Amino acid sequence: MSGPAVVACTWGVATSDIEELLTLGRTVAGSLGGELRWLVLGALPEGATDTAGRFGVGGVDHIEDAKLGTSGSDAYVAALAQYCTDSTPQLLLFNQTFQVRDAAPRLAARLGVGIVMNGIAIEQDGGTLRVTASAFGGDTRTVYDLAGATPQLVSVSANAVAPEAAATATNPEVRKVAVDLGAVEERVRVVTPPKREGPRLEDAQTIVAGGRGLADAANFKLVEELAAALGGVAGASRPIVDDGWADPSQQVGLTGKITRPGLYIAAGISGASQHMVGCSAAKTIVAINTDPDAAIFKHARYGLVGDCLEILPELTRAAKAR
Amino acid sequence: MNNYALVGRLVIGDDGKTLTQTSIPRLMNAYDEQAIEAALRFRDAGTECTIAVVCAGAESGDVLKHAAAMGADEIVSIPIEATTVDYHVMGDLLAAYVQSSGGADLVLCGRQASDDDQGVVPAILAERLDMPLVSIAREVALTDGGGVRVTRVTPDGDEIVECAGPAIVTISNELGTPRYPTMAKRMQARKKQPTVVEVASLGLADTALQPRVTLTKQFVPTVQSSCQMIEGASAAELADALVAKLREENVL
Ligand SMILES: Cc1cc2nc3c(=O)[nH]c(=O)nc-3n(C[C@H](O)[C@H](O)[C@H](O)COP(=O)(O)OP(=O)(O)OC[C@H]3O[C@@H](n4cnc5c(N)ncnc54)[C@H](O)[C@@H]3O)c2cc1C
Repeated sequence: MSGPAVVACTWGVATSDIEELLTLGRTVAGSLGGELRWLVLGALPEGATDTAGRFGVGGVDHIEDAKLGTSGSDAYVAALAQYCTDSTPQLLLFNQTFQVRDAAPRLAARLGVGIVMNGIAIEQDGGTLRVTASAFGGDTRTVYDLAGATPQLVSVSANAVAPEAAATATNPEVRKVAVDLGAVEERVRVVTPPKREGPRLEDAQTIVAGGRGLADAANFKLVEELAAALGGVAGASRPIVDDGWADPSQQVGLTGKITRPGLYIAAGISGASQHMVGCSAAKTIVAINTDPDAAIFKHARYGLVGDCLEILPELTRAAKAR
Repeated sequence: MNNYALVGRLVIGDDGKTLTQTSIPRLMNAYDEQAIEAALRFRDAGTECTIAVVCAGAESGDVLKHAAAMGADEIVSIPIEATTVDYHVMGDLLAAYVQSSGGADLVLCGRQASDDDQGVVPAILAERLDMPLVSIAREVALTDGGGVRVTRVTPDGDEIVECAGPAIVTISNELGTPRYPTMAKRMQARKKQPTVVEVASLGLADTALQPRVTLTKQFVPTVQSSCQMIEGASAAELADALVAKLREENVL
């Protein structure tokens, strides 16, 4: 007997991430000729059945256990392994969160199955699952064929697909799935949890980000002032975070935050792929750079060739004048 | 592979999946270098330990000599054709080596390879060795009783965790710049021969050496540019023109 074609597994992510994953899952399930199920670990997100129906989910599986909800991955891996043994899915999809980076590959090892991280597209070719992933910090795309035992696992990058509701909505039911985590003792203990300060870049509608073109730590305030004038949040490229001009929590990019604002203003940023990974999903990108050939202009909707140290204060003034 | 050396200069080879040698210098993965640095800092701080650096692959010579020059006590090569190795095979090989060499008190890895960015091997190693996994560390300290206290760089800020040893810890770039060995150390390291461990001697089943994931293609994505340049004679004019445009398009 064979289980569902695709199971999208989520915990602790925003609804927009879930919608992306369900969109991709529905497409792949269609090409495999099977059902898409949605597995929720921990609390059910608000409006879960409604979301599931709109995105064409066949059914929702729900695992709740007091041992879930830690930052460790032991309980998640155990729960997922039991689920896979009982439900025998062909493909498991994850949103690539910080925790999934640990949990998904551990699950792959425990089940002895193939896994691809940083996935951005999945297709089916005569029984072979073919996954396109981002590599070299976004400079290249790698294409992997997965073979061997199922379920195969793919951890999907944020913003890989645009959410799209199903042409025909479904009427899914929530099924409680019991797992036994009695033997699980989380081995990694949190001594001091992370403290988030200020608004989240990931949720910001407007981001003004600065890079090495700011020339000096003191000029980062020009970025902060424009961000404040626009009701947005200040971001930074990695070199200026490394140099201490901005806080690590403000870093946008591959090793920083993956953002998706409506407006992203990049000042004195060259547009390296490792940076663009973190902002290319922005609806409108504005680039300010002295170099008319800077790579950032290839990604931008609007370009301003000029000195950001002069332009940023003028933008702050113009933004305030209404 | 050290990604810093080649940002924006990648050339895909004739096989359509690997990068040509001329466009990439063969260097140690920068995150792995930071993992070695993390180990060396224990010794600098007075911890008595043997630091072994293990590399499985076709041409690990230069990479291992760099590890020796940095200060590794022992360098170990597991020769294997790279194209037959996926993360499972790599995890199995490294786990088998750790077990066959009498275990380890602490296993440090780079958080991910800076070429494929997958970051899967440490998790597989953790499962195979049944050790706890602590990923993306900026700082690692030893606790009384052989455990570790690790500061992790999470998207929400730093998190401090503890676990009993032996453990697998993956190191992130936030650890800081790895030391660059002096000329004298590099000369010395050139003479150092790696201990060669043959795959056959590790007692792995044939199935463990069967890759499940195969790279079939690699390409540089193209960007469709649609940038409209804002014109203006001064910074003030440029700013006014942009703000007007963004308001017109309802972006502001
Ligand atoms: C493994 C790895 C991970 C990485 N992760 C990240 C990441 O998460 N985030 C990230 O940002 N980077 C990351 N990087 C680094 C990335 O490759 C680039 O080096 C970095 O993004 C460049 O930052 P920048 O644009 O601020 O600086 P630069 O590339 O130095 O660009 C500065 C730009 O400012 C312009 N400029 C100079 N003066 C002015 C002026 N007065 N006014 C306007 N423009 C001016 C210049 O023309 C130039 O285009 C990573 C790299 C690696 C290898």
